[in-house]
Formats: sequence, structure tokens, C-alpha cells
Amino acid sequence: MPDFKTLQPLLWLALAGLLAMALSVSLGAGPVTPADTFAVLTGAGTPLQQTLILDLRLPRTLSAFATGGLLAVAGALMQVLLRNPLADPYVLGLSGGAAVGALLAMLAGVAGVLVSGSAFAGAMLATVLVFGLARGQGSWTPSRLLLTGVVIASGWGALITLILAMAPASRLPGMLYWLMGDLSHAGSPWPALSVLVLVCLLLFPLGRTLNVLARGPMQAAALGVDVGPLEWLIYLLASVLTATAVTLAGSVGFVGLVVPHMLRLALGNDQRLILPACALGGGTLLVLADALARVIIAPEQLPVGVITALLGVPTFLYLLYRSGR
Amino acid sequence: MLAVTAWSDYPEEAAALPQVGDSNRLDLEAIVALEPDLVVAWVDGNSRSQLDRLADLGIPVFWLAPRSFGDIAAAVTDLALLTGQPALGQERARAFLQGIRDLADQYRDARPLRVFYQVWDQPLMTVNREELISKAISLCGGVNIFADLPRLVPRVSVEAVLAEDPEVIVTAGRGDTDRAWLAYWQQYPGMRAVAAGNLYLEPPSLLQRPTLRMLEGVRHLCTTLEQARARL
Repeated sequence: MPDFKTLQPLLWLALAGLLAMALSVSLGAGPVTPADTFAVLTGAGTPLQQTLILDLRLPRTLSAFATGGLLAVAGALMQVLLRNPLADPYVLGLSGGAAVGALLAMLAGVAGVLVSGSAFAGAMLATVLVFGLARGQGSWTPSRLLLTGVVIASGWGALITLILAMAPASRLPGMLYWLMGDLSHAGSPWPALSVLVLVCLLLFPLGRTLNVLARGPMQAAALGVDVGPLEWLIYLLASVLTATAVTLAGSVGFVGLVVPHMLRLALGNDQRLILPACALGGGTLLVLADALARVIIAPEQLPVGVITALLGVPTFLYLLYRSGR
Repeated sequence: MLAVTAWSDYPEEAAALPQVGDSNRLDLEAIVALEPDLVVAWVDGNSRSQLDRLADLGIPVFWLAPRSFGDIAAAVTDLALLTGQPALGQERARAFLQGIRDLADQYRDARPLRVFYQVWDQPLMTVNREELISKAISLCGGVNIFADLPRLVPRVSVEAVLAEDPEVIVTAGRGDTDRAWLAYWQQYPGMRAVAAGNLYLEPPSLLQRPTLRMLEGVRHLCTTLEQARARL
């Protein structure tokens, strides 16, 4: 059982997450001061303030946290699974499948739950397709999985371009915002938060095994790990995490690639620590990014994917530069 | 008229003409093959580089960018001149401007109404004061709540709309999809527009196309806003 000293970073990250959420709920275009926010959270405030905070900002903040956490954990898992530092949750074409599903639904002129449902179906189809094709006959390797996924991702990319080229101009803004990742029409955050917590709990007892696997399949097998089923389990979990995130917010880029690396640079490569840290750190980053996306040019809005990249690129380069010295 | 782009449906004869691409992507070969004497283009919608190519090939291109009611009248006068019917053009333009002036006189002293005009729902978009629709709203005695934003078609948040608390929400569209945009606001019964039942769907081809028919669209909008005033 890890002692208090190893758990300390998680407590700090949790605190940062809570502060980010408090900040995000207090910021926005409407006339609400931090004092009003506190009043609303304790049951007072005007009806307008209650609507703004309880119906709009709070669900959106929780959605942002869930999306960021899901993507960061999925990214960390993919990097372990493929033993490739460039792996992110989308590398195997899952977001492409989701995007094709969502864009087809938008092309058909439907909105809301049908777009999300279609995105989830697309993500699951992409998962099954890669799973089936990479398995093929005989044994499979991470590089075979990676190649299959990357080729299928290119296929989805072509389909996305085709849909964009054929869509009427009036539907393009909605489609482009979906592709950039956007939280303004995220539905209820609770399913995504539940998936995040469940998967983290499920991964907790696997931490030690994942540490062994990260050193390579041969060593893992020599140490008595049943590599095949474990790798498929990781693939399946990462897919469910990513599909849930993409369904909620579209393809928000960058979080899944960079948050795991940032945390590894800061905390070392112990999966027992990194995976929950990713859930907290990824969530915190996306909450902050979304708060900025809402207020930078308020009352106008930016897509959150732009901000994650703008915040993440310099931070990551700084950490990398510092660790190289 | 030799040919049109996709979605051209007025007058009815236009729909029967050959189509040469849509407003973003023109079929240059088809246009050149038709040997037109004149191509009429729209600055905000058509591809500059494609039309410059046509101009290079020696086909005259006439650009239109109507930003005001006066611009619409001027465009009609110019087009009439180019097609050899200057008198007809002047007459139609004069009648249009007179109609607009009459509406302006009629609603000059109307009680100002705070209006949110919704262009699209996901992402939620509106117009600023430069857009013709915003000018139509002011003509009818409305105040566009997002008139002061810097961009022509800004993207705004639901929160910003709630904070501005408009008295009327107007969108242009027909059919159930567009009606769903208005139904969305029903979940905020505290808004003045929702409490008063002031959620309106205007006929899109009259209001969103900067043509002589816009007079009819503006008249329709003014009647709608008058109806909204009565409900407050």
C-alpha cells in the first residue's frame, strides 16, 4: 500500500482541481461575482444567478473535468500499451470514427442526443474494427495494432474531409466546432464522471502489473504477467474512456498526449501514481482551458481545444527543457 | 439568365436553369462553356480566387456586397443598367427605398424592444450592428442586444443571452429543426422573452437574402415585433 508521501502529489492535484472548478464557476459573461457564486451554492441568489451557475456553469465545469480526466488516463494507457511516447487516445482512429458518426448525424440535420449517440456508436465501431483487423490470424504485436489503427484513422480522416466537402455551408460551423472540441453543448456530466471513477478504481489493483508491462512484454511475461489478455483489457478500457470523452465534448486534442508526459516528468513513471494523477491533472487543465475559452473574448466564445494547445505547448516544452539539463 | 448556383429558387424559373456549382465552389469549366457576357458575384459568399480566374479569362465579373438598404437599391440600379433596362431598375429601386422609408416612419416612435436574433444554434451565433438583419431590427424599433460586438456574425454563449435577458427572440427558418431552436429557450422560463411567449420564426428567404424582397421580410419582421410589444 502506498504511503502518505507518495499520495501527496495526488492531494495537491485534487486541491488544484477544486480551485480550478471554483474559478471556472465564478467566471463568465453574466453578472455574477464570486460572492454571488458562494451565495448560490449555499442556496441563495436571484433566479438568474441560480440558472447561470447551477444549470450552465456547474454542469459545464464538471463536463470539462470529466473530459480532461478521461482523455489523460486514456492517453497514459495508450502510451503504456503501445510503448510509444507519441501515442494519444486518438492514435488508433477512435476519434475519427466518432467524428464520422457525429458529422453524419449533423449532415442528416439532427441535433443533441442523436449526435452524441452517433459519435459513441462511431467510436465503438472504430474500436471493434481495429480490434478485429489487428488480431487477424496468429499473434499480434503493439506495432501491428498501431499500424492498423493509424491506417484506419487515415481512412476516417478521408471520410471526414468528404463529409465536410459535401455538407451545405450552413452546417459547417457546427461541424468544425465539433472537430475542434467544444463543451458548450455538453450534456449531463454524470455518466462521464462515473466512467472515469469506475475505470480508475478498476485500474488501481492493476498498477503494479502495468509498471511491469511498461518495461516491455518479454520482461512482463518472464515475471509471470499474462500479457495478451492484459493488453486487450487496456485497449478496451482506453477505448471506453476515449469514446465517453469524445461523446461529451467532441475531439478535444492535446490533453491526452501531453498531460501524461507532463506528470511523468514531474512524478516519475509509476502507473499506480500516474493514472489517478492523470485523471486529476487532465481534468484540472481542461477546466482551466474551458474557463479561459469562455471569458477571453466574452460574450463571444472560443472552442476549448484551441486553449488546451495554447496552454499546454509552452508548459510541456518548459518541462522537457528543464528535464533535459 | 444563363445559369445559377445551387439553392437559387427565386423567381421559380431560376430553379429550372442549369446549376454551375454552389456559392463556395463554382464549376469554372461549365461557366466558361456557357460564354456569359456577365457574371454577378457576391463578395461575402463566393470564392475570390475562382472569380478572379474568370476575370483573367476575359469574362466581366460584377461584385456585389450589400451592407445597407441603400446598397440593395444601388445594386438593382447597377444591374438594370448593365442589362440594358436602366428605367425599370431605377423605378424598382425607388419603390424599395420608399417602402423602407415608410416602415421607418411608421416605427420611429415605437417602444424600443430588446431583441436576440439567432442565426444558428450549435454553435450559438447572432449578428452585430453591421449586418443587414440587425439594421432591419432597428428599423422596426428593435434593439439588437449584441449590436456592439466586433465581429459580423459573432458566436455567443447561452449565458450571455440569459444575462442580456432579451424581450424577443427571433430566428429565421422553417420546419421543425428551426422550431426546436426556439423550443430550447423554453427551459429558461425566467427570461422575459420566454415568459411573454415572444419566440418567433421569420421566413428565411425574405429576411436573409439582400434583395428587393427584403422589403417584404422587413415588413413581416416589423409586424412580428409589434405583436411582441403587445404581449409584454
